Parts: sequence; structure tokens; C-alpha cells
Amino acid sequence: MVDFSRVQKELQECNRDINVSGISVNPKSDNLTNLIGTIPGPIGTPYEGGTFKIDINLPDGYPFEPPKMKFATKVWHPNISSQSGAICLDILKDQWSPALTLKTALLSIQALLSAPEPDDPQDAVVAQQYLKDYQTFASTARYWTESFAKTSSLGVEEKVQKLVEMGFPEGLVRSTLEVVGGDENMALEKLCSG
Amino acid sequence: MEGIEIVFLWHAVASWTWDAQDETCGICRMAFDGCCPDCKLPGDDCPLIWGACNHAFHLHCILKWINSQTPQAHCPMCRREWQFKE
Repeated sequence: MVDFSRVQKELQECNRDINVSGISVNPKSDNLTNLIGTIPGPIGTPYEGGTFKIDINLPDGYPFEPPKMKFATKVWHPNISSQSGAICLDILKDQWSPALTLKTALLSIQALLSAPEPDDPQDAVVAQQYLKDYQTFASTARYWTESFAKTSSLGVEEKVQKLVEMGFPEGLVRSTLEVVGGDENMALEKLCSG
Repeated sequence: MEGIEIVFLWHAVASWTWDAQDETCGICRMAFDGCCPDCKLPGDDCPLIWGACNHAFHLHCILKWINSQTPQAHCPMCRREWQFKE
């Protein structure tokens, strides 16, 4: 059974200093086991200026088991799957400790964005590129940040217009955007999968 | 006998606190003066326990952690191999 009183405390504490950390955690549904975290891309990296969403799922054993976290925003990074968003980070696996929190885990993910570990890759293609051709890696990562991690600043009308221009009917675009909470990428994915 | 006052009523007031450095348990994040999430009342029924590394937790919290870790559990705070303080 998840320790919900602790989760509640964590949410309050994390969102209290959101202005300093830029990191937030919010429930996705009523039951507090599905949450969405956001982290700002670290300054001075190809992820700068982006806001990255992290899907958080709390297993029954939380906080004695690590939270399940993966990127909901597409990101180009050696330790994050460019396909699934899976994250290769020890504290989310065998190095988890119940003294860690959702916020400290998100901070660690933010640190991972600053300091990739290409020798222990999650995405072999990205890691190879990072090691062999850093310039191309950096520009791809910047391009992905630009394309996928910045769209949330667009207004709803702009998002609707963009998706309509892609050829989807306006009514469907609006209802889909609503379902996914305004996330343009998730809406696009949903629209494409029919 | 003069000069002797007799006390008829006496209210005793006492307070207690665990002698721990941090104020909250690093596992459940509840105050040490409170109890772990599984207990209703703080005090002897929900004691604190110290590791050899001097980190304190609610006994119930650290037992849950130890039981979830095989074969050796580490201190949640400092990752030293967990041993109860003698």
C-alpha cells in the first residue's frame, strides 16, 4: 500500500519552492499513484529553455520501492530512450532509498540531463552519436528540445491551428487536446494512432 | 502546628520528546514526536531506533525497509550497511 500521507506531504513541499527549483509534481488523476513531474532543462545544455514532463507511477511499495519514472516529453539524451522515454538512472533502480523523494529523484534526472553517461546508455544510437560526433548530437538534442519541450508555451488556439494544419479535423483536435490536458505532443500521438 | 500548608490538589504536567537530532523520520517524513503511518499513538508503542551510523527512524519504518532488502539493507540516509546500534 502506497504511503499516501507521505506523498501528500511531498507534493506540498515540492510545490512550495517551485519558484526556486522550477520542479513541480502534480497528480494526474484523483488517486495520487499517477503523477506528472516537470523539470526545466538545465542552463548551458542543449535542453536549456525546454520544460520536460516526467510520467510518475507509484508502485504499491512506495517509498520502499522506487517510483517508476519516464519522460513523457521526447528527449535526445544517451541515458533516455528516444522511443519510450525510459530513463537509465541508478537511484530509480537498485540505488533507491526511502529517504529520497519525488523531488530529489526529479532533481537527479535534471542532473542527468546536464551530465550524460554515454558509457552506460539507455539509447545506444544517441550514445554512439554523443561519443563520435558531439556537434551533431548537441544540435539534434537542441532541435528536439525546440520541437517537443517548448510547445507547452503555445496558447490553445495556436496548438489547434498547428494540428489542423497537419490535416486533422478541428473538432477532433479540440476534443483530443482536452483529453490529454492541452499537451500538443500527446494529442498528436493520439490523433495519429486513430 | 503553625506554618504548615497542606496541599489538597496537585496537577502534574510533563512533556516528553525523543532524543533524536532530526525532527522527522527520513522514511515516512512524519515527526519523530508523532508516530509512523501504521500507528495511532506516539510513544512506547511506536519507538525510535538508532543505527550504528547514528541515524534514527521509527522502528516500524526501518523494519519495513530492512525486510524489503535482501540480503543486506543499507541506511536510507548514508547507505552504510544497516546495523542496529548496540
